[in-house]
Amino acid sequence: MQRDKASKLMQNLGILLFLAPALILIGVYIIWPIIMSFDLSMYEWDGVSPRKLYLGFKNWIDLIHDSIFWHAFGNNIKFIFLSIIIEMPIAILIAVMLDRGGKKFDAFKSLFYLPMLMSSVAIGVLFKYIYDPSFGLLAGILNFLHLDFLNQDWLGDPNVAFYSVVAVICWQYIPFYMIFFIAAISNIPHELYEAARIDGATQGQYFWKIELPLLAPSIKTACILSLIGSLKYFDLIYVMTEGGPSNATELMATYMYKNAFASFKMGYGSTIASAMFIIITTAGILAYFATKKKEA
Amino acid sequence: MKRLGRIVALVTLVVFMLSLVLVFSPSEKAFSSAGGTKKIVFWHITTDAVGKQMIQNQVNRFLKAHPDFKVEVVPLQNDSFKTKLKIAMGSNQAPDVFVTWGGGPFFEYVRAGKVKDITAYMNEKNYKSRFVDAAFGPITYNNKIWAVPVEGAGVALVWYNKEIFKKYNLKVPTTYDEFLNIVKVLKSKGITPITLANKTKWPGCFWYWNLVNKLGGASAFEKAAERTGGSFADEPFVKAGQMLQDLVKMGAFPKGFNGLDWDTGQSRMLLYSGKAAMELMGTWQIPIVKAEKKEFYEKNLDFFPFPSIKGGKGDPTSLVGMASSNYYAVTTTCKYPKEAFNMIQYLIDDQAVKERINYGQIPPVKGLKFTDPMLQKVYDVISKAKSIQLWWDQYLPPQLAETHKDIVQSLFGLTITPKAAAEKMEKAAKEYFKK
Repeated sequence: MQRDKASKLMQNLGILLFLAPALILIGVYIIWPIIMSFDLSMYEWDGVSPRKLYLGFKNWIDLIHDSIFWHAFGNNIKFIFLSIIIEMPIAILIAVMLDRGGKKFDAFKSLFYLPMLMSSVAIGVLFKYIYDPSFGLLAGILNFLHLDFLNQDWLGDPNVAFYSVVAVICWQYIPFYMIFFIAAISNIPHELYEAARIDGATQGQYFWKIELPLLAPSIKTACILSLIGSLKYFDLIYVMTEGGPSNATELMATYMYKNAFASFKMGYGSTIASAMFIIITTAGILAYFATKKKEA
Repeated sequence: MKRLGRIVALVTLVVFMLSLVLVFSPSEKAFSSAGGTKKIVFWHITTDAVGKQMIQNQVNRFLKAHPDFKVEVVPLQNDSFKTKLKIAMGSNQAPDVFVTWGGGPFFEYVRAGKVKDITAYMNEKNYKSRFVDAAFGPITYNNKIWAVPVEGAGVALVWYNKEIFKKYNLKVPTTYDEFLNIVKVLKSKGITPITLANKTKWPGCFWYWNLVNKLGGASAFEKAAERTGGSFADEPFVKAGQMLQDLVKMGAFPKGFNGLDWDTGQSRMLLYSGKAAMELMGTWQIPIVKAEKKEFYEKNLDFFPFPSIKGGKGDPTSLVGMASSNYYAVTTTCKYPKEAFNMIQYLIDDQAVKERINYGQIPPVKGLKFTDPMLQKVYDVISKAKSIQLWWDQYLPPQLAETHKDIVQSLFGLTITPKAAAEKMEKAAKEYFKK
């Protein structure tokens, strides 16, 4: 009995010892900066001088009245919606097609995955050229197909820019969800497919009646990932449009960056960052419970 | 199979151990400091191959004279430099020498006590008198000098394609009406009159600043920015917005200009290909065009100063820009400020001036002669100028500058009226200065 307790203690100590490096890293690089951001959001600070002016909740009150922030938040919501309804179906479709193709199409798996391997900054620069209304690849293709009237001011028109950027982001992320779904599909027992075939099910029936329902948990997880990713999205938008023109593609993260690093308003930038933290955490928890309930 | 697993495990272990050794071993800096024991870290933003090498050569001359020193030269991209410097300054990891444009953002660092006052060094043997007087405006604060003018003059001029002007029999305009006429003619010939890449917002602002400068004179902006009896909602500001939107509505600018990126050359491509005829841009256009398309530089490129506006208060010779475009400052954390200052001197000594002129710059040094007629012409325009209005985004405090740039971009996008734009800017200024 005594020895059991001792070994249990030893075991716990062991666990703690092995967790310690991770815990220390998380503490120093994740938890502490979050606390610091919340603290900074109470100050007016330019980011360089040693002087900080305590403001209390003034930054937070300003944030609530900041129409650009809410506009950016709205863009984030639009962005979540668009990326889920565009990325998920296409990713599922490609995954199913690649699965049906079997080994023959293995090369395509790598090929389709390519966009995911490029850095967002490189993709941003690349698509800036593709979207160039005079010399761009897109303009060239439309010209070739005699569809000139479809050519738009892709990144310069506030009404179009947001969708142009979303299209690129979808292009970048579809491969990620594709691989995700391929893995999920390969987990579906092969016997089901054989049984369905014996029962005379068509490919379509198999997809709608068996594959899709069995994929549901993966789709939910993918949606949560997409939701959280969309709320904190930054890099590609910054490279392509800097949130412009006229805030048309502004997201919370780009607005935060501009305040903190371009306008020297580190305090207000921290307020936006902290607000994002609250929003994203809440959204994550809500989404988690919403999907959990359905599964039960 | 089992053996393979063991080999993989062994390799992984070795890699892991090696990386540990690398992580905990002395940093790269310590390895490479074999040459000298004293070190200066130097950040600049000249990233094209020719310019980068030129600066390295100048630093090498300093190293030859100071064998006990080592200089870490770090060339950075313009926009990422701004962020990097900010973070470095905020976290006390500032470089010893860094490039700056002077004005509002620079004075933030000065006020924070991050920049060394070099007035004494500049006065030594009257070193200061080497430079043109106008160069000191953007780096003088509290009657002290905080940086050395090094890189060439940067003023906004209208660059144009000589061939196109000749082909359609167009004359260089001196008034804005003549200029508008040129825009109309070019438009009717199917050529984009003015190329513009306005993603980063400042290239478009050049139009607004020049219009305000010619309409209201230099004092219009200064009075508004200094809150000494002027307002950003005054007539010249509204009128400038109106004239700018008229240009947009005429189709003077290329399709999609608000999404094009100047840094990656999207506006210049239109110029080189002959699809567009003019661009309002700083004199740094010279080395860039020279490097990107030498033939175009020699055969096609020319410029004229921004035309004057009938009834405007601005002096016809007045310009927007600065007598020196890049300055170099020493930080207070630098351990060898005297030597760091000396290193900067090597960037603008007689040999360096020669190199810079060759490169296509007009150094902010007195009594220069040029063999390149283009540089001589720019030099003459600058020396004749009665006033040079500093770029507003460098003049204004950073926060206001960002708001201003956003507003002007909206003006270009026709999403705000000139009057509303002027009022929005005035409101932001009032809030910032609390008066």
